[in-house]
Amino acid sequence: MRFEWFVASRYLRSRRKQSFISIISIISIGGVALGVATVILVSAVLDGVEQGLKERFLANEAHVVLRLHDSSFFRNYQERILQIETIDEVTATSPVVWAQSAVFQERSDTIQDVIYIKGIDPVLEDKVTGFSKFVDGSTDFQNSEFIETARLIRDETITGGIVLGGRLAARLGVIKGDVLRLIVNLAKHPVNESMLIPDLANFVVIGFYESELAVYDNNFGFIHLEAAQKMYNKPNQVNTIFVRLTDAEFAPRIARRIEDKVQFSVLEGMPDARTWMELQAPLFSALRLEKIATVIIEALIILVASFNIASTLIMTVMEKTKDVGTLRTLGTSRGNVMRIFVIQGSVIGMLGTLLGTVLGLVLCWLLSYNSARPSYWYAIVLIVPIFLQVLIALRRIIPRSRGWMLAVSMLWLIAIGFALYCAVTPISLADLGLSQVYQMNQLPIQVNWFFVVFINILSFLICWLATLYPAWQAANLKPVEALQHE
Amino acid sequence: MANSVETLIRVVDLHKSYYDGESELPVLQGVNLEIYLSELLAIVGASGVGKSTLLHIIGTLDRPTTGNVLYDEQDVFALSDTELARFRNKEIGFVFQFHHLLPEFTALENVAMGALISSSNNKTIYKEAEALLDYVGLSERLSHYPSQLSGGERQRVAIARSLINQPKVVLADEPTGNLDRRSSEAVLELLWDLNAKSGQTFVIVTHNQELAQQVDRVIQLVDGKVF
Repeated sequence: MRFEWFVASRYLRSRRKQSFISIISIISIGGVALGVATVILVSAVLDGVEQGLKERFLANEAHVVLRLHDSSFFRNYQERILQIETIDEVTATSPVVWAQSAVFQERSDTIQDVIYIKGIDPVLEDKVTGFSKFVDGSTDFQNSEFIETARLIRDETITGGIVLGGRLAARLGVIKGDVLRLIVNLAKHPVNESMLIPDLANFVVIGFYESELAVYDNNFGFIHLEAAQKMYNKPNQVNTIFVRLTDAEFAPRIARRIEDKVQFSVLEGMPDARTWMELQAPLFSALRLEKIATVIIEALIILVASFNIASTLIMTVMEKTKDVGTLRTLGTSRGNVMRIFVIQGSVIGMLGTLLGTVLGLVLCWLLSYNSARPSYWYAIVLIVPIFLQVLIALRRIIPRSRGWMLAVSMLWLIAIGFALYCAVTPISLADLGLSQVYQMNQLPIQVNWFFVVFINILSFLICWLATLYPAWQAANLKPVEALQHE
Repeated sequence: MANSVETLIRVVDLHKSYYDGESELPVLQGVNLEIYLSELLAIVGASGVGKSTLLHIIGTLDRPTTGNVLYDEQDVFALSDTELARFRNKEIGFVFQFHHLLPEFTALENVAMGALISSSNNKTIYKEAEALLDYVGLSERLSHYPSQLSGGERQRVAIARSLINQPKVVLADEPTGNLDRRSSEAVLELLWDLNAKSGQTFVIVTHNQELAQQVDRVIQLVDGKVF
């Protein structure tokens, strides 16, 4: 291979063109580099958006939600929780009474809405879903000042406090301190059985839940676990157990383990552990589809760049036809000739891939690195190397010596680096008016190293494949015809 | 005349035709030829008679339609492509009318190329290449590129290149065809000297009568046959 490297590297540098690296090699390398950089950047943005949404979502969602198939109550949930907590990956659990209830205000005489009620132990729930972080107001369901006040001025029984989803509260038109009536149960009228009497419980609004996730903010009310148990007459029972894991990605595996591990009595329904992915399947499958489409487009970008390599090589082969003839007279085999051109193309592919990776990662870093930058106008420094390069091309002032070429190349690197540093800054979604949609302030960037390695291998492989036809063409030139080629 | 009668190459009933669609254009029509060790053989003939084709086939660059070329009684066209390349590399040197030096490489590298293909002992190879360039009188031109050399110098580099692997035979196709008188003489001097000093076998295709008069043996090709 040594001989082939010797010839191929010389062809890449093409001494005759009198430049440091032949311009055509630079263009091909640039094509691959841009392709790879785009791929890395685009997938980092996509991963970032997915990750950002996941984080927002997981911030107030349990990783695994355990219920019974028939939505009945667990017989002895404390024991279930102990069993679940023996699994290493489980970090916290929260027993919950999950129900639906119709609500109306004390002064209203019609049902205003039907909401989800989550009866929670605020301390345990905090460890699973970070509940209190999202509450504007009090989370003290039993002794909040609003409850004290309400109890003082009313003669009705106040069961406790309720934290209402922010948008739900706005829709109902309630403020903190207002009393909300929850319909717990409908009992038959003792005399007229066709009439139903609502069994009511009064709750004082003590806070608003502002997670910015519409499903919670629009539809949920949180009350204390014991209040919920009392309300539904299920003392010391729950129908749902929320579980948090060391890593959200473990959810599918652990969900199955929870189902297996927890021994349920035959009197209960079958356990049904749902992962957060299952609960939010539409969102994440949409993201996944988007990603597949993008990866296909990305592969096409690299493919286009590899065509560049193929055409570069085909041109080189045509230009070097006579030399191939000469090499054959000197005793190079077809294999030798083939390898010379495969090496030449592969070096372009490799340099392009590596350069593109560096460029892509630098762009990713710049897009996620918050700092005070010089104005993007400073990107004008690029004029300096351009000017010097023109001087070299025109053979004025600067000689074409190796030293100068190297110096100008370094200058190019520094100028490009500085220009990128000035011009590429984190993209503010707020400025674009998108922060509400994506619930993020800044375009998120998440570099997936596994994917970077994968793209490097893929890109190199595609470039290598692109060399095969031109190289084969060169190898099969007939020596005599090649020699006479003008 | 050749003193030695030891046969190096035997060309047996060589036919070569070119095909253009249906029509056949016969070029060589039964060439029989023996080339002896250490001789200086000239092949002459009118242009288009197939001199170069014959030289290419002897040099294994082209395959005959029928017939054999035997080196030391070995049929070279029975070899595989790779073996043939290796054989060409080791046993045959070429000098062409147009120097055919590789433009991206220096004189020294051009000379060394043939040896670099089959060996990786760079130090020894470059030393030999340097000695050869010194021998052809170009010791001052080692790191010059072909574009920086004169026509005569290029041809001398080409001769040095043909000798790097100490081949059994050097095949020269109009080696002075593209040179002025003075350069031609210098190049021919070299060939005679090489032949005299080291007994190098040369087969030269030419229509230069002067050259033809200075060789051991002249073969004339007429109508695709040895006359």
